[in-house]
Amino acid sequence: MKGYSFLMWAYNVVWIGLVAYLAFLVVRVRKVSERLDRLERKTGPRS
Amino acid sequence: MDGFLRRAAIVLLPIAMVMMLAAIWMVFAYVPDERVMGPVQRIFYFHVPAAIITFFSVFVLLAGSIGYLWTRHTAWDQLSRAATEIGLLFCTIVLITGPIWAKPAWGTWWTWEARLTTTLVLWLLLAACMMVRAYADNRDLGARLASVLGIIAALDVPIIYKAVDWWRGQHPVVFKAGEKTPLEPRMLRTFLFCMATFFVFYGLLLAIRVAIVRLEDRCQALVEASSGDRA
Repeated sequence: MKGYSFLMWAYNVVWIGLVAYLAFLVVRVRKVSERLDRLERKTGPRS
Repeated sequence: MDGFLRRAAIVLLPIAMVMMLAAIWMVFAYVPDERVMGPVQRIFYFHVPAAIITFFSVFVLLAGSIGYLWTRHTAWDQLSRAATEIGLLFCTIVLITGPIWAKPAWGTWWTWEARLTTTLVLWLLLAACMMVRAYADNRDLGARLASVLGIIAALDVPIIYKAVDWWRGQHPVVFKAGEKTPLEPRMLRTFLFCMATFFVFYGLLLAIRVAIVRLEDRCQALVEASSGDRA
């Protein structure tokens, strides 16, 4: 059972880490897109 | 988000999720226990793919660094920025899962063994790449310094790979160039599937991260242009 607890810890680190990072990126895409929209409205699209 | 990167992310996301669930099933239910180490050996199925993805990401960083220093085109720098952050994430996973395996296998969380130490050096170099970008006076200087550090980080990868041979470390070697793998067929299938899962995840994360970097650069360009108009 001891081996399994180490395995579970390692598995949690990997998948929680990857999924949390993915969620963080999705939130960041949304925030940066909103900021870009605001800036483009303010200055007019340039590219 | 750019059209191509958006499509890539939309296609890769469900594939990554399904493969992740299948990989969990294979590691916990399909693959047999290793005779000597028991269940803790199953950490191998994501520790090793994470290490290979780290190396792959560092080679993407190397390509971006050389490309930027050669051409000064921002697209190369955008690739480098994305690859650095994702490489650091996977290197962190390697450095956390390794000690979790080492504790029951070696009786200690950490030892200053050659492969572990050189991997820690790689982590520090990737962190340094991110720091010089964040603290440099201007974007070009940050990109150039980070590119040089990226090339140095890439030089560390063959050292990590050969560390076990050069310094006779304790780290186990499962795959050796030119030798047949000792893995049982189900173990090999599970390993290859986990490897593919990690590659899909890497592609997904890279596509989203590059898209974010491009959006941030467009924001920065608009801010600079508007402040230039005012001045």
